[in-house]
Amino acid sequence: MLSLSRFAAIAACSLFASCAYSGDSAAADKSPPPAPYAKVSSLVKLPDFIPGLGTLYVDPATLPAGPFLGYDKDGKLSATIYMIPMDALSKGTAWNNLKTGSTQVDSVDIYYNAGHPGVEEPHAHVVLFHDDGARQRLESK
Amino acid sequence: MTSRRSVLLGASLLPLVAGFHAWRAARGGTTAPVVIAMRGTPRGEQVWFEPQGLWVAPGQTIRFVNEDKANVHSATAFHPDLYGRERRIPQTAQPWTSELLLPGEHYEVSLQVPGVYDYYCLPHLAHGMIGRIVVGTPEDVKWTQEDYHRSNRPTGLPGTFPDLNDVLATRRVPPRK
Repeated sequence: MLSLSRFAAIAACSLFASCAYSGDSAAADKSPPPAPYAKVSSLVKLPDFIPGLGTLYVDPATLPAGPFLGYDKDGKLSATIYMIPMDALSKGTAWNNLKTGSTQVDSVDIYYNAGHPGVEEPHAHVVLFHDDGARQRLESK
Repeated sequence: MTSRRSVLLGASLLPLVAGFHAWRAARGGTTAPVVIAMRGTPRGEQVWFEPQGLWVAPGQTIRFVNEDKANVHSATAFHPDLYGRERRIPQTAQPWTSELLLPGEHYEVSLQVPGVYDYYCLPHLAHGMIGRIVVGTPEDVKWTQEDYHRSNRPTGLPGTFPDLNDVLATRRVPPRK
């Protein structure tokens, strides 16, 4: 399991990455997105493809909120996901000006998640689907 | 609802069952692993062990299987040697952890020391994903007062363990959802 201290180290390192992702949607249309984005399953023990979210990439400096970029099995950007800790939210923490993987958003799902490696505290998933077929592609087995 | 009579009847049969398993283990016989599944809803709103409470004879192999297609889980004993948690297993028992299991992976453990074993899932402790395994019966000489009187709540953490008497009476206690 990746410890919090390891996460902090990765996050700190990524602050000095020379090629920071600007949030330009064109750069992230196909996987893999440019550095400092990294595949989540390479950072923590999680499946490569998570049903409903796809293959996830994140800039470790933006944890826990993200954005996480979700790709379908053909490598097409399909969703942007934010993971918002419930406890911090209830205590007044705000996350503003979060970047999106694409400016095109077809629909949004918001739901509770009990936690997983990387974002272990109970949190909310905010999922922006970028086209009308994205949801189905990300659910594919 | 379980009646007091059935609780007593169930508990009274346990020494016979435990004795059979112990005899079989001593003879070198094998019994199939007893499975505890790690499960969750597809989007991860709820996660749990199934069953949450389990009774086994000493030496019985227990297999934890991650049946959750979208999440990883662990089965980790409450013990100071593992992530500094309080000890909630018998004093002479070895602590154990599966570490994180991907979907479809499994981990086996055989608990030899009679008593009450409480465990949790590493990434879901804050959500209260916890379970209890009872090994042997209160008649076992190795049971201690600590086993009889272990609380049903982990200190400072969410979740509730199945009551010892319920586990002894029914052998399998389903999770609270």
